[in-house]
Amino acid sequence: MIELDGVEKVYGDATALRGVDLTVQDGEFFTLVGPSGCGKTTTLRAIAGLESLDAGTIRFDGADVTGRPPEDRNVGVVFQEYALFPTMTVRENVAYGLQFDPPEGSVESRVDDLLELVDLAGLGDRSPSELSGGQRQRVALARALAPEPDVLLLDEPLSALDARLRDRLRLEIKRIQRELGLATVYVTHDQAEALAVSDRLAVVNDGRIEQVGDPEAVYENPGTRFVAEFLGENNCLDGRAGAGGETEGSRVRVGDATFAVSGEHDGDVTLCVRPESLYVNASQNRFVARVTDVEFLGEAYRVHFDWNGRRVLARLDHAPEGDVELGFDPAAATVLD
Amino acid sequence: MDRGLGATRRTALSRLGGAAERGYALADRIGAHGAFLATLAVLVVVFYYPVGTVLFTAFTESGRVSLAPLWATLTDPFYFGVLAGALADPAGAPAAVRGWIDAGFPAVRTGLFGWTAYLAVLGTGAAVLVGLPGAYVLARYEFPGRETVRSLTVVPFVLPAIMVAVGFTTMFGTSGALNDVLGLVGLHVNVAFSVPLVVAALTFYNAPLVTRFVVAAADTVDARAVETARTLGAPRWRAFRDVVAPQLLPSFLAAVLLVFVFDFMAFPIVLALGGLRLATVEVWIYSLAGDLRLGEAASLAVLETAITLALTYAYLRYERTEGAARAARIERVPLVGPPTAGRLLAAGYALVALVLYVGPLASMVLESLTRGGHLSAANYAFLLAQQLGTGGTQPTVAVRNSLLFAAGAVALAVPMGVSIAAITNRDGRLARVGGALLMAPLAVSGVVTGIGLLQALVFGVDLFGWHLAVTGPVAIVAAHAVGGYPFVVRNVAPLLARANRDLAAAARTLGAGPARAFRDVTLPFVAPGVVAGAAFAFAISVGEFNATIVLARDPGWYTMPVALERYLSNPSVGPYLGPAAAMGTVLLAVTAASFVVVERLGGRWEP
Amino acid sequence: MERRDYLRAAGATGALGLAGCLGGGGDTETTSTSGTTGTTSGDRTLTVATYQSYVDGEDSPGAWLKEEFEAANDGVTVEWTTPSGGSSSGINEYIQRAKQGAEIDADLYVGLNTGELVRIDEELDDPLFATVTDALSHAGDVKEALTVDPDGRALPYDTGYITPVMDATVLDDVPTTFDDLLDPAYEGDLLAENAQSSDTGEAFLLWSIHEKGPDGYLDYWRDLLDNGVRVLDTWQAAYNAYTKGEAPMVVSYSTAQVYAANNGEDLEKYHLGFLDEQGYANPETAAVFEASDAPDLAASFLDFMLSADAQNVVPQKNYQYPATTTGSLSGNFAKYAQEPADPVTFTYDELAGNVTGWIEDWARLVAQH
Repeated sequence: MIELDGVEKVYGDATALRGVDLTVQDGEFFTLVGPSGCGKTTTLRAIAGLESLDAGTIRFDGADVTGRPPEDRNVGVVFQEYALFPTMTVRENVAYGLQFDPPEGSVESRVDDLLELVDLAGLGDRSPSELSGGQRQRVALARALAPEPDVLLLDEPLSALDARLRDRLRLEIKRIQRELGLATVYVTHDQAEALAVSDRLAVVNDGRIEQVGDPEAVYENPGTRFVAEFLGENNCLDGRAGAGGETEGSRVRVGDATFAVSGEHDGDVTLCVRPESLYVNASQNRFVARVTDVEFLGEAYRVHFDWNGRRVLARLDHAPEGDVELGFDPAAATVLD
Repeated sequence: MDRGLGATRRTALSRLGGAAERGYALADRIGAHGAFLATLAVLVVVFYYPVGTVLFTAFTESGRVSLAPLWATLTDPFYFGVLAGALADPAGAPAAVRGWIDAGFPAVRTGLFGWTAYLAVLGTGAAVLVGLPGAYVLARYEFPGRETVRSLTVVPFVLPAIMVAVGFTTMFGTSGALNDVLGLVGLHVNVAFSVPLVVAALTFYNAPLVTRFVVAAADTVDARAVETARTLGAPRWRAFRDVVAPQLLPSFLAAVLLVFVFDFMAFPIVLALGGLRLATVEVWIYSLAGDLRLGEAASLAVLETAITLALTYAYLRYERTEGAARAARIERVPLVGPPTAGRLLAAGYALVALVLYVGPLASMVLESLTRGGHLSAANYAFLLAQQLGTGGTQPTVAVRNSLLFAAGAVALAVPMGVSIAAITNRDGRLARVGGALLMAPLAVSGVVTGIGLLQALVFGVDLFGWHLAVTGPVAIVAAHAVGGYPFVVRNVAPLLARANRDLAAAARTLGAGPARAFRDVTLPFVAPGVVAGAAFAFAISVGEFNATIVLARDPGWYTMPVALERYLSNPSVGPYLGPAAAMGTVLLAVTAASFVVVERLGGRWEP
Repeated sequence: MERRDYLRAAGATGALGLAGCLGGGGDTETTSTSGTTGTTSGDRTLTVATYQSYVDGEDSPGAWLKEEFEAANDGVTVEWTTPSGGSSSGINEYIQRAKQGAEIDADLYVGLNTGELVRIDEELDDPLFATVTDALSHAGDVKEALTVDPDGRALPYDTGYITPVMDATVLDDVPTTFDDLLDPAYEGDLLAENAQSSDTGEAFLLWSIHEKGPDGYLDYWRDLLDNGVRVLDTWQAAYNAYTKGEAPMVVSYSTAQVYAANNGEDLEKYHLGFLDEQGYANPETAAVFEASDAPDLAASFLDFMLSADAQNVVPQKNYQYPATTTGSLSGNFAKYAQEPADPVTFTYDELAGNVTGWIEDWARLVAQH
């Protein structure tokens, strides 16, 4: 188990991390997701012992490791550009950590096992410059796993790869992690990836954790506008809420339109409706918007609308033209105070 | 390079591993900071303290701290010309200027500093004129032996001044080799003891620096940027001017600044080839020291150092640290081929290089094979006689001592330089100021350093009732190392700045301590810089003269340059250059050979 | 015995030095005593400081002196030391040591000229050298005109005459006076040396001051500089340039023809141009250090240098004239060395208080011309 308590890190004038608290359970695949520069990599490096803290503590299974150097923390790290040792072969890279933590059996057989695990058997004698991006990533993974770390840390390991390869390797990593049962912290800026692969995730913004939870929960119930707009796509509009009158829930006034939503809300609010929740020929919450752009995605259409000067995005199964009447279910909307 | 780990190898390794682990644990405890402190300790003892004691006398008068001596120097028109007058009497400056205008703009007296700066500007300009085409040829063309030529570009820089003076006088003198050749077509040049000759010698030393810096920068230019410019419609020369040249500019400026500093401080060459009439600040310091007017010498040295340190600081700003590690290199073109403008330039340049570089050295070799106007082995016979005789100066002893000291100097300079490079590898003004101060051996007067070494190390200091003096081989090696480590730093620092820090971090997370991670990961990356720096330090040690002659108390510890100087002034031979030229030939051969060897040996490390 | 001992001693030093180097123990000495390489106890070592070329090689005057003195004095070893101190004048190091209170480990200094004596007395309050004239048996043999030290500390052991040497095969008319040198016909033809760092340079400068007076010599030199005289740092550099034909005149020693004869060269190329039939006399002296712990031995060595035997080899070994009336010339030296009809020199008293200023003013003039 990894526990971060009140962790703070300052670089010159800029504060990278402010009061970060989080807990990662054993065997859990935990993702830190957020835009570039939000502090997720810094958090990861702090866990690895590669950054010193200005405040707060880090504990592994209850033991305080805050002052411990990286070589004493027993973490495995996969870096963003893999950081393979260029003057060593694949075998030598993977075997490097075993010098400091010799395996029970022979080094050679352990290396073989790991290469097998990442599906690189037979490439042991190549040098890193001879490998493709995906292969290098897998070597980096094998190398990190060789000394049997307690914790696995991955810093945007897939960002340098093409989309298809990324999808495939994402599954591989997840599979290996499940097989080994390691507590894993995964850093990415790709929210789709975070949603797909995590057991739990934390959305990080400007050095602070905005929301923690399992992917479905956070996706369906974002706590802040930032989370709402960062995970997936969302149409967030400012409005004013008031009592619902005869119906349950409340009403939100956005511009000239009034929408029915569930829950009790009052005052200035933000109304968020996901594109997939908007449909044509709706029964409630209707409004008319003009089509501005249509993108064909293969399995659906992404249609851009202009609604009285506001941009609205909908996910539809056809490509409309001109003025279209859209609507959504009250329950599908999220209202943020 | 598969190192299969068999059983026997593993047990041997584990035994070694125990000792190595303790070594690394110790290194971890010492840490980068500890290594730096140890380096600093050596520097303080062998350089900063000795030099400091001498420079400090510039700030004392009658036993009290005072700026009067410095002010006296600043307001002495002999040193600063009209500037001195302006400083002494600022209020009178406008009137003086009006008087000057009225007089019809007569020549302005610039004093010794002005003259030195002027000479340095000439020398730098010439170095650029000669060095840039050389860089062009080396960067653009491929030809057999290109790498060796590149290695040898540093050789001129480290040859001892006395030897170069011998070479230049035998080449460019009235009855020298060049005039022999020109005489065939009825031409004659008379440049002995004149400014052109001094400038040529300064160029000999420093143009290769310009070449080396620019070639190194050219290696890091991304070919894709050039291709992009071409696809956007730029002709080749425009692509060069707009894309390549700006990337070469920082290194070029750095080289120019460094060359200026070296030219400003040049001393034995100016004296030998120009005489007293072309005296520069450094020559004057030498004269003052010879008169034991150390206070005045120190004053001059302080002002000189202020200028050169400022320039060194500026140099550090331009030192090249960026450069994409994975840039696609610009393709090189074979040198031999159909004539183009470029190839004609290369041919012309080869001619210049022949006259300027090969000429003096070859004529020195020729001189060594001449006696009384015709070919003769008499000079080498003299060397042999010296070798077999007793007392005297034996060539093999000189060679042995030189190589021993050089090996020791490298062994000391490399760790010193690497630790300094590691500590100053961060951004910020403090790192730059510190870096400049740590480059001080380059920027401080060699004469003052010699005096400092004499007064502090040889005479000794009394500390807590103990009398400490350091002389002999250890002191010589340390002094040579101090002369060489700045070059290790300047070769390693740019590479270190570019090193991927994630690599060391990865090793750390895999269990390696900081020292181990440095050795396994960072060091191989900066190895080319280390090797280049080591080669420099080696050659500088071989060519070093000033400190050696001060510290070698026991007459048996002479090196090749010292032997050369003795042969120059040996009355039993008479005042002939022959024996000295013969020793110079030996020195040249040893230096060039060891240079190539060191760089080749080091080349094995390159990935 | 002497030569073998010397070799053994040299071997011992070498081995010690190397051991220090290899063992890494370093040469961090504590206070060193004079008598560096002790052989067996009871033997005495005399440390003599001088300039490098005096002791370089088997044929050097230093080697001869050492051999003969050790032969005549049982149990004594002569150790030559050549401090360079990083400057051109070897005595500077001892002046600095005296000023700083550092150890002076030599017993004698060989190779001082009058100007250096003056400078020593200007720089130091306490005497650097001991007064020994009265203790020496041969002191009375020294030629009257060469006695430079009024205090009887430094005694001359040889002397030379400085004069321009000219290549009569190139010059149609050789200049015979100082003013002749200003003639545009000789523009750029003269090679002189730096008075700050070279004996010949200083001698020539002093000669010109003797000729033109302390108030007129700077003007003279201004004209000489306008006429293209070149001022090189050392005699070697100037003489080398001369033999290479860079210029047909060089300020050098009046023994130039001896060298030429020894090497079978044309004597016309080494014409001695005694200007106004003069030449500047430059005696070289030796003195015993006040701080020496073997003053009697040192004095006895100095005495030996003034003995007839030693003085007789001065011409062959030093290429200079003997300083005593008992020394005689021989061989090529007797044939080809020339003395000026009217030798010129400044005495100690005339130089005291003046020489430093003269040289400095002259140097400043040259450097900025």
